[in-house]
Amino acid sequence: MKKYSKQLGLVLFILAYGLASYWVFTRSTPVIYQRPVTIRFAHWQIERGPPDGIAAAIKRYEELHPRVRVVQLLIPGGTIYRQWMRANLAGDTGPDIMEWGSWLDGQKDIPARYFAPLTSELAQPNPYNRGTSQEHVLWQDTFHDKLLAPRRDSPDPGQIYAVNIAETTLRLFCNIELLRQATGSVTAPKTFDDLRQILARIQAYGRRTELPITGIAGSRDNARAIAEPLFSGTLLGVSQRIDDSGILYLHNRQVLAAYLEGKWNYSDPAVKAGLQVVREVTQSMKPGFFQLRRDDAMLEFLRGESVFFFYGTWDATSLARQATFKIVPMQLPQVMPDDPEVGRYVIGPAGEGIGETSMAMYLNKTSAHPAEALDFLQFLTSVPGNQLFTDHSGWLPSVNGVDVPVEIRGFRDYRKGYALGQAPYNVIGSEVTMQWDRHFHYLIGDQGSADKYAAALDQYMPAAIRADLQSEMRNSLLLVKPQDAMIQGWAGRAAEAPGDALPRARQHELEMGQTMSEGLALQMKRVLELTAEKK
Amino acid sequence: MLSVFAAPRLRWFTLPGLILLPALAVGAPAPAELTQAWTSIANSRPQDVLRKWDADRTSRPEQLAWATAQLSVQPTTDANLQAAGKVLTGLAGGDDELAAEAAYLQARLYQLYYAQPDYAKAAELYRALAARRPESHWAQLGLVKLAMLKLYVVPDSAAPGTDRLAPAEALLAGIHEPLLQRDLHLQIGQAGIALKQPLARLLPHLVAADRIGGISGTAHEDLVVQLSVLSLRAGLPAQAKFYCERYLAEYPDNARAFTIRLKLKEAEQQLAKEAAP
Repeated sequence: MKKYSKQLGLVLFILAYGLASYWVFTRSTPVIYQRPVTIRFAHWQIERGPPDGIAAAIKRYEELHPRVRVVQLLIPGGTIYRQWMRANLAGDTGPDIMEWGSWLDGQKDIPARYFAPLTSELAQPNPYNRGTSQEHVLWQDTFHDKLLAPRRDSPDPGQIYAVNIAETTLRLFCNIELLRQATGSVTAPKTFDDLRQILARIQAYGRRTELPITGIAGSRDNARAIAEPLFSGTLLGVSQRIDDSGILYLHNRQVLAAYLEGKWNYSDPAVKAGLQVVREVTQSMKPGFFQLRRDDAMLEFLRGESVFFFYGTWDATSLARQATFKIVPMQLPQVMPDDPEVGRYVIGPAGEGIGETSMAMYLNKTSAHPAEALDFLQFLTSVPGNQLFTDHSGWLPSVNGVDVPVEIRGFRDYRKGYALGQAPYNVIGSEVTMQWDRHFHYLIGDQGSADKYAAALDQYMPAAIRADLQSEMRNSLLLVKPQDAMIQGWAGRAAEAPGDALPRARQHELEMGQTMSEGLALQMKRVLELTAEKK
Repeated sequence: MLSVFAAPRLRWFTLPGLILLPALAVGAPAPAELTQAWTSIANSRPQDVLRKWDADRTSRPEQLAWATAQLSVQPTTDANLQAAGKVLTGLAGGDDELAAEAAYLQARLYQLYYAQPDYAKAAELYRALAARRPESHWAQLGLVKLAMLKLYVVPDSAAPGTDRLAPAEALLAGIHEPLLQRDLHLQIGQAGIALKQPLARLLPHLVAADRIGGISGTAHEDLVVQLSVLSLRAGLPAQAKFYCERYLAEYPDNARAFTIRLKLKEAEQQLAKEAAP
């Protein structure tokens, strides 16, 4: 019996080896069925929600297209996305579709180098919108904001490189039961002074009960996030003053240049008033918050140790799925002219328009399957595709015609008000942000004050601001130079095929965009030279 | 299937053909290969061209494609750029559109590519190209670039009180392609703001750029806002009203619409004041 079992084992081994050899030498495909086309789709939205939404859209897309497989790659944004993206794009191993954001430090050159413009496709209706309210609408106009950010962040002022999947805004998420316990009321703050009073009552409650309760869950990320909208209130007047070009919008380069030209500084009374407001809200975060990150603040809130958590609606699904208490999202009240402390510096409310769509997805220029990748993007941003995303993610859709679930409809209540509220004063560039963070301790705590912080910033910012404006100029030139070759390439294509209008049109579009970018670079160069002379 | 009788005839055609083929290939560009090269360059993949070709291409279009690819290749050392420059210099000596294209790129080398830019040399090359072939697209585009250099880097005069826009306006007169006229109008307008020139001098350029049209994306929206706001600042309420209304018609929900509505009201008040007896 033993002898037979040995032989049987040997026979089985030979049989298995033979079968494996047969498979390897006669078939090149894996044992498991692979579809002929694989699209890789990378993003950093690893919060609860978006991966589910995208997976639902992928599932439906794969049903419609049996040839195509879409792989979703979830790459953590806070830690490795930038390095991962840069390394893969440089090595020609980048995914077909990937997320990018203009605020990613040191990544400004990426779209021009590695992504394909979608302008001409966006000027046609999206085929997946057939039979929907958006059937005859141009793809670009089906987006709730007509792709504001991709237009603004485009390396070519005339081109659009991305489509957005979702829409996000900032909200003050409130642990409503804890608010009631701490203040005896569940009324949302209507003015900044209301919020000031609520935060004071929460602090008193914590002291009285000796419970580790804070007003706002704290971290460096959350402090930065809350500083921006608060800052904008007192800075509207400064922004209007430095908007020489009259476009009612300030780009980083303009704010940086205006500082070097002496048009504003951190010791300006209106700027200091903004810093004072930031100090007031960050005083309600727990000590040492600046060493923590957004995840720490979220955990603090989820543990029931803080009444408010201020961040983007991109965290709403994570909060709703993980919290054991009721969360009510509220709008952060802005500082208004009637504010008893800093109202004299405030012109009025900063407007939010109709909000902005986000989660910008770009098409890799070197994709092996550009047609299929583009097709998937069209599906994902069609009414049915975006509906699947919204239903499974709990995020606002980016596309008109999608039913917005009742529980997140409030995220679309945007504040009406003046333009220029977006003007950046703290996160204007990597050097400026570093100095902002490095000296933040002058603002907070018992020893901190707006005066001390402003003085420190005005001491260290000139060099940082100069460095950031130089980076902005270098980035513009980085875009301008490769465009020369691209223009020649399209001109060459046009000469080879005189009957085809596209290459000539593309050549002229690039020429227009390049001239605009070149003009901006020359303006920055001039400011840097003039202010260096002054120095 | 070839019959045995056809074989001798095939050989008769094939043998000389095979002998002549390389010679033909050297003398004239293979169109498909050239198209592929331009496609690679247009798609930001100059390395694909340089992998296949080297500097000794004999057809002029291929030489131009090679030099263009060489401009973008990494590392962008002056030696690499000089190799491209040498080819461009040879090509620019001709008397056709390709020569103009090469001459334009020569100027770009001095303006943007060499580690130490030489703006004066670039300006001189743009000027020479425009003098030699004024009708060429590349000469026309070169005039736009020359005007920008004059606005910011090599002004005819930087003395206080000088009209900094005039030299660029003089070059504008030599540009007949509407799209390039538009681009230069826009640049003169923007430079007027940066150089703190009177609004009355720069606004007509922005209006002209808008009238020629075709500006897409956010640049178009910015221009309409700019015309609304600057017209009001310049004391031109009728023009401000026109652009405010246009903005609100095109972008009724944008974040800037609230302020533009206020500007429109302001423009209407000024107009009513002017109309009052």
